[in-house]
Amino acid sequence: MTVADRARDLVYRYGLLVLLLALIVFFASTEPAFGTVRNVLVVLQAVAITAIVALGVTISLTVGGFDLSIGSIVSFVVMVTTVAQVYFGLPAWVAVLLGLAAGALIGLINGLLVVLARVPDLLATLGTMFVFAGFALVPTAGQSVAAGATFNGEPAPGRIGPDFLWLGRGSVLGVPVPVLLMIVLGVVVSVLLARSRPGRLLAAVGSNPEAARLSGVHVGRVKVLAYVASGTLASVGGVLLAARLGRGDVSAGSPYLVETVAAALIGFAVLGANRPNGFGTIVGAVFVGVLINGLTMQNVPYYWQDLIKGALLVGALILSFSAIFRKDRT
Amino acid sequence: MTDASAGSEPRARARPVLSASAVVRTFGASVALDGVDLELHAGEVVGLVGANGAGKSTLVAILSGALAPTSGTVSIDGSPVRLSGPEDAAAAGIATVQQDVDAALAPDLSVAENLVLDRITRGELGFLPSRRTIERAARELVGDGFTLPLRTPVSRLRTAQKQQLLIARALGRGARVLFLDEPTAALSITEQRALHDQVRRLAAEGTAVVYITHHLGELTAVSDRVVALRDGRIVGRFAAPLDPAPIAAAILGSLAGPVRRPPRTGTAGESVLRARGVVPLLGRPGFDLELRRGEVVGITGLLGSGKTELLRQLVGADALLAGTLELDGRAFRPRHPSDAIAAGIGFVPEDRRSGAEFPDWDLAQNASLADLRRHSRFGLLDRRSELRGARELIEALRIKAPGPSAPLSSLSGGNRQKVVVARWLAARSRVLVLDEPFRGVDLAARADLARLVRSDTVESALVASSDPEEILEVADRVLILSDGRLVAEVRPDEVDEESLARLMVAGLDAPAGRTA
Ligand SMILES: Nc1ncnc2c1ncn2[C@@H]1O[C@H](COP(=O)(O)OP(=O)(O)OP(=O)(O)O)[C@@H](O)[C@H]1O
Ligand SMILES: [Mg+2]
Repeated sequence: MTVADRARDLVYRYGLLVLLLALIVFFASTEPAFGTVRNVLVVLQAVAITAIVALGVTISLTVGGFDLSIGSIVSFVVMVTTVAQVYFGLPAWVAVLLGLAAGALIGLINGLLVVLARVPDLLATLGTMFVFAGFALVPTAGQSVAAGATFNGEPAPGRIGPDFLWLGRGSVLGVPVPVLLMIVLGVVVSVLLARSRPGRLLAAVGSNPEAARLSGVHVGRVKVLAYVASGTLASVGGVLLAARLGRGDVSAGSPYLVETVAAALIGFAVLGANRPNGFGTIVGAVFVGVLINGLTMQNVPYYWQDLIKGALLVGALILSFSAIFRKDRT
Repeated sequence: MTDASAGSEPRARARPVLSASAVVRTFGASVALDGVDLELHAGEVVGLVGANGAGKSTLVAILSGALAPTSGTVSIDGSPVRLSGPEDAAAAGIATVQQDVDAALAPDLSVAENLVLDRITRGELGFLPSRRTIERAARELVGDGFTLPLRTPVSRLRTAQKQQLLIARALGRGARVLFLDEPTAALSITEQRALHDQVRRLAAEGTAVVYITHHLGELTAVSDRVVALRDGRIVGRFAAPLDPAPIAAAILGSLAGPVRRPPRTGTAGESVLRARGVVPLLGRPGFDLELRRGEVVGITGLLGSGKTELLRQLVGADALLAGTLELDGRAFRPRHPSDAIAAGIGFVPEDRRSGAEFPDWDLAQNASLADLRRHSRFGLLDRRSELRGARELIEALRIKAPGPSAPLSSLSGGNRQKVVVARWLAARSRVLVLDEPFRGVDLAARADLARLVRSDTVESALVASSDPEEILEVADRVLILSDGRLVAEVRPDEVDEESLARLMVAGLDAPAGRTA
C-alpha cells in the first residue's frame, strides 16, 4: 500500500469523526453556550428522534431499498397518537400502541407494493409518502391537535397526558428518555445488522438478490420485513416527536426525510464500513444535529437550514457513492 | 484500424509486437506478478497457463492497458509505452476477451450496440445513430456466421452467449494482438473448435494471440508455444511439439498429483433423487432421471441443449415444467431454492457472478451464507467460528487467498468459483447439483472438486458441463442432452472425449429446426 493509499484510507475511515470533533470544538469556542451540559442534552434530544428514524432508513438501505415515506410516517403517527388521546380520550399506552401499529402497517404496505406489486422502491414509497402525508390531515381537517381543540363542533374530550409527555420530555437518571431509547435501539440495530443471522440475510438481499434466493433466502419476505422495521422505527420517532411537542402539529415529520437519509448515508463512511450500519448512522445523526444546532447558535437564520441540510445530503451522497475513497477493484 | 494482413509477409523474428519486461504488480501485500518477461511476435499463438491466482489475468490486464504495472515496462514494437486504458490499447491494435464477461459488457444495451460500442462512443456512426445503422455496423463486424439475436439486451444472454459476443467483438476488430482469457470456459465443443479455427486463421494473417485455458488438450491443440506461470513468475516455456505432462508439472509445481478421476468406491446404492417425465425445454418429450447414492451423474450437451434449464427445475430455482420429483422415495416439489436446501440439496448456478457471488463480502461470509445457523450462538453470529470454517475450506479446496477475511472481489476467477462450491460443502449438502462447476477452475482444483464431490458428506452429485474432458473426469454416468431431449446415456469407460463430442453433435442432426 502506498502512502497515498494509506492516507486516503485514513481519511475515509476517520475523516468524519475528526470533522465532527472539529465542528464541536469550533462551535464551543465561538459560542460558549454550545459546550454546556444543558445544550449537549438539547442537541442529543433533538438528534435522538432523527437517529431513531435514521436507523429504519439504514435497514431499508441494507436490503438495497429506499424508503421515502418515513417523513410522512412520522407526521402520520404524530397525528394518530395525539388524535387518539385528545379526540377519543384514549389512554397514553393505547395511543402509543396505535402509533406503532400505524407505522408498522405503512411499512407493510410499502413492502407489499415493492414485493407483490413489483413497484420500484422509490416509486412505491413516494406514493405512500403522499398518501399518508395527506391522510395525516384528514381526521383534523388540516388543524393541529391540542387540548381544547374542537372535534365535531364540540370541545375535544381528552388531553395529552403526562405519561405520554414523559416519553418526549422526561429523563431517567438525568438522561432524556429519547436519548436513552436512541442508545438502546442503536445498539440493537447495530448488533442485529452486523452480528446476527437476520442481519446477514438482509445484507445478502441488498448485495445480490438472485444469489441470495439461490442460497435459500426468501428475498420477498426479507424485504417486507425491512420495510416493516423501517416503518416501525419511524413510528417510534413519531411517538417521541408528539410527546416532545405536546401537540399534534400537522406535517411535523416532514423535515425528517432529508435529515435521516443524510445521517444514514454519512454513516456509510464511518470507520470505513462502506455499507449501511447502525453505529455510523447514529454518528451521522449527531453530525447533522451538531451542525444544525451550532449554526442556529451562530445566528444563521432558520431559513438557511433547508439549504444547509440539502448540501449536507449531497455531500453525504458523494462520500458514500464516489469511487474516490474506495479501494480500487478490478 | 490496423491492417492485419500486413504481417502476413514472413517477418523474421524481428521486434516483438508487444512485450513485457520485468513486470511486477502488487495488490496491497500480495504479489500478483513478480518480474515477468514476455515477448509476443506477429503470427504466433502463445498459450498461457497457470493455476488459479497464478497471475494470468493480471498479466493480460497489464499488457492490454487495463491495469498499470507496479514496476517494469510494456513495449509496443520495441518502444516502451504507457497504456492508460482500454482506449489506448484499442488504438494500438490490442483486443481482449476478458475472463469476467459481465465486466466487459453493457448489460442494458443490445447485442448489436455492445458489438460496436467503441464506434458509437467515438461518434463514428453519427450523432444518435439509428438502430438500423448500428445493426448494419454490427453485422459488418461479425459477419453472417454470428447467430445471436442482435436486438436482445445483453442482460438476457446466458454466460456462453456473452462469451461468444465478446469473442466476435474482439475478432472483428482486426487486432494486431489478441488476448483470450479463458474464452472457452462457457463454450461447448463445437464452439470451441470453431474458435480454434478462427484463432489459427488470425495468426496466419499475422495477429499475435495469447490464449489462456485450463484445458491442456485445448492448449496444445491451439498454441505454437506455451508459457507457464506460477505465483506470478514464469516457470516454464515450452515449444512445439507440445507435451501435456511437463506442462502440467510446471503448472502445479510441488502440488503435482493425479488429475485422473478417482476410482469409484463400491456400487451405486438406492435412489436419492428421481425425476419422472421432466423436460428441460417446453414442448419436448419428457424423460426420467435417477441419482443413486454414491453416484456422480454427468449431464452434457451443446449450448442450448437444456442442461441449465433442467438443473434449475430440480432445485426449485425455476418452476417445474412437467413431470414429478422424488427424494428418498417421497414426493418432492421444491417451490423455492430453500426447499431444496432444507432437503440437503446444494446448487451452484451456471452464472456465478450474478447467481452466487456477493462481491463486497469477504470469503468467509460468502462461504457461510447457507450455514449461518451453525455459526450462531445465543442468536448472534460467532465470527470466529465462521472464520474457522472458512479456513478449513480454504485448505480443503486449496483456495488461493490472503485469508478468510479477504474480499471475494480480490480473488482470481477460479478461486471465486471454489468459494461458491465451498458454500455447499460448508452447509453439508448431501446432494450437490453443480452447473459448470469447473468453469475457470485449474487442473489441481478440478481434481480437488472431483474428489470432494465424492467425499463422505456428499451422497451423490449431478454435474453439468459442456466440456467432454471434464465430464468424463468426474462422472460415473453421462447423460447427453440435445435440444431439450435426452439422446444418449454412456459410461466414461465406453467413450473417449472424441466420441463423446461426436455424440453431442450427432444428437443435433436428428431433430431439425434448432434456433440460435
Ligand atoms: N484487485 C485485486 N485486489 C487484490 N488482489 C488481487 C486483485 N486482482 C488480483 N489479485 C490477486 O492477484 C493474484 C493473481 O490473480 P489473477 O486474477 O491474475 O490470477 P489468474 O492466473 O488469472 O487466475 P484464474 O485462473 O483463477 O483466473 C491472485 O492471488 C489474486 O488474489
Ligand atoms: Mg484469470
